[in-house]
Amino acid sequence: MPEQVLLEIGLALAIVAFAGILAARFRISIVPLLILAGMVVGPHAPVIGILDFRFIKSAPLIDFMGRVGILFLLFSLGLEFSVGRLLKAGRSILVGGSIYMAINFTLGMVLPIIWGWPLRETLVVAGLISISSSAIVAKVLVDLKRTARPETEMILGLMLFQDVFVAVYLSIISGLVLTGSASPPSVLKSTSLALGFMLGLILAGRKLAPLINRLFNVPSDEVFMLMVFAFLTLVAGFSETIHVAEAIGALLVGLILAETDHLDRIEHIVVPFRDFFGALFFFSFGLSIDPLTLGGAVGPVLVAVAATLIGNFLAGIIAGRMAGYSYRGCTNIGLTITPRGEFSIILANLAKTGGLLPVLQPFAALYVLLLAILGPLLTKESKWIYSQLARIFGWPALKETNKPRRSV
Amino acid sequence: MSIKETELPGIGKKFQIETRSGDKMVIVVHDDGRREIYHFDSNDPEESISMVTLDDTEARCVAGILGGMAYVPKALETVEMALDDMVFEWYKVEKDAQSIGKTIGDLDIRKKTGAAIIAIIKKDEKVLNPGPEEIITPGATIVVLGDRKQVKACKELILHGGI
Repeated sequence: MPEQVLLEIGLALAIVAFAGILAARFRISIVPLLILAGMVVGPHAPVIGILDFRFIKSAPLIDFMGRVGILFLLFSLGLEFSVGRLLKAGRSILVGGSIYMAINFTLGMVLPIIWGWPLRETLVVAGLISISSSAIVAKVLVDLKRTARPETEMILGLMLFQDVFVAVYLSIISGLVLTGSASPPSVLKSTSLALGFMLGLILAGRKLAPLINRLFNVPSDEVFMLMVFAFLTLVAGFSETIHVAEAIGALLVGLILAETDHLDRIEHIVVPFRDFFGALFFFSFGLSIDPLTLGGAVGPVLVAVAATLIGNFLAGIIAGRMAGYSYRGCTNIGLTITPRGEFSIILANLAKTGGLLPVLQPFAALYVLLLAILGPLLTKESKWIYSQLARIFGWPALKETNKPRRSV
Repeated sequence: MSIKETELPGIGKKFQIETRSGDKMVIVVHDDGRREIYHFDSNDPEESISMVTLDDTEARCVAGILGGMAYVPKALETVEMALDDMVFEWYKVEKDAQSIGKTIGDLDIRKKTGAAIIAIIKKDEKVLNPGPEEIITPGATIVVLGDRKQVKACKELILHGGI
């Protein structure tokens, strides 16, 4: 019955909204709560008497809205993304970012190899482990009032670096994973197709920028929005048909439109859609997880989480010290960059579409859940963590701040 | 005073200000319109000791107060606000200015200087958008709008009664 579908969607949204309220109440990131909420009401959840919260009829719809969420997430990433900005951010970001990637990507490769996972799974896990969630990081910085601190620039610079890495990595991985065949020639073919598609679109976008500028120069906000979204969906849909991840298509549309004069106007209209569908993306990912399968992933996840915490902390200290930040600042860098979120899930979804080992889904879910909660918590307690570490490593102790004295 | 401007991708823009008195202050302008002002400890330049969050309206209001628009400090005769090439100036008519007693029309300010007088604040009244019949009185504060050259010419015209 169609009425029932609407009611189910309504219920789903109510649950998503409730997760948002809880997240705000307990001052934690909304991402883990959304995934948890999805898992609790997913198709694998038990039926309690007449309370059947399993979103079965609306599952395809929610799933689709989650996909739209990916499109918007990567589209807005593409809008923000700029190699020019990265170069302007300076040498310390490029050096620091390379160090970060070298340490964490290596760790991400080594673990699944030790576990004996096949090559494609290994590459997915490596990406999953090495790419932080820039969305959570930016939000944590704002929420904890850290934006004014000196090392914040470095943290955001690292995120920028990662975003560039994500773009390239996603295109390679999607070529590898989505073809389904592991023979070297076909892998090479599909990877070069993905990269070629990317480069081709970027070049075409640059050439056609004046045309796009004129085309999108419409006074009506309504028509403007429709045109932008049509462009986004068309390119993403086309990417899918040639076995390039739709996420890449969306990212490219963002990159192209970022070069036009309409950037501000687009950013303005995209944000609410990104937030709405992005929330449904995390929720629908939760729906796809059978809580019973999580058990098998616990061991590897705990190892991966520990490796991530150590790897990120090391990277933060090395990159930060090289850029001339204090140990205190470096500790903040190392702790703040640990949350994992949207990219890890996008990679896990990619793995599912490509028919890789089913353990990747619960692995990613548990991994993201833990780090999306742990990362912001560690960032919040960075002062305490620093003072403990300072004693061990002999770093300068925290100075007593001159709190304004109250007059008697 | 030194101001360092840095971009915070995904958040907004950060302005780090070191004042002549040695205070370190950071203003973060968020993309959503929020402004945050941080004051840093002079002993530990990494530790902020106080923070104020303002929404857009509040920030403008505070900017006005800081800029001397709500109350001009007694020590200052003129206050200037610049928006790109445009300058607003709060200008106090000196007691011995040649133009006292004349009207804006007599002085032909707009034609001669290009600047516009957008308000005259006298002791007991505020005239917004004064007409040509408005008389210049000693001690009145005149708000002039124009580019830098025009505003300067206007001030000279008021002081000397002619250019």
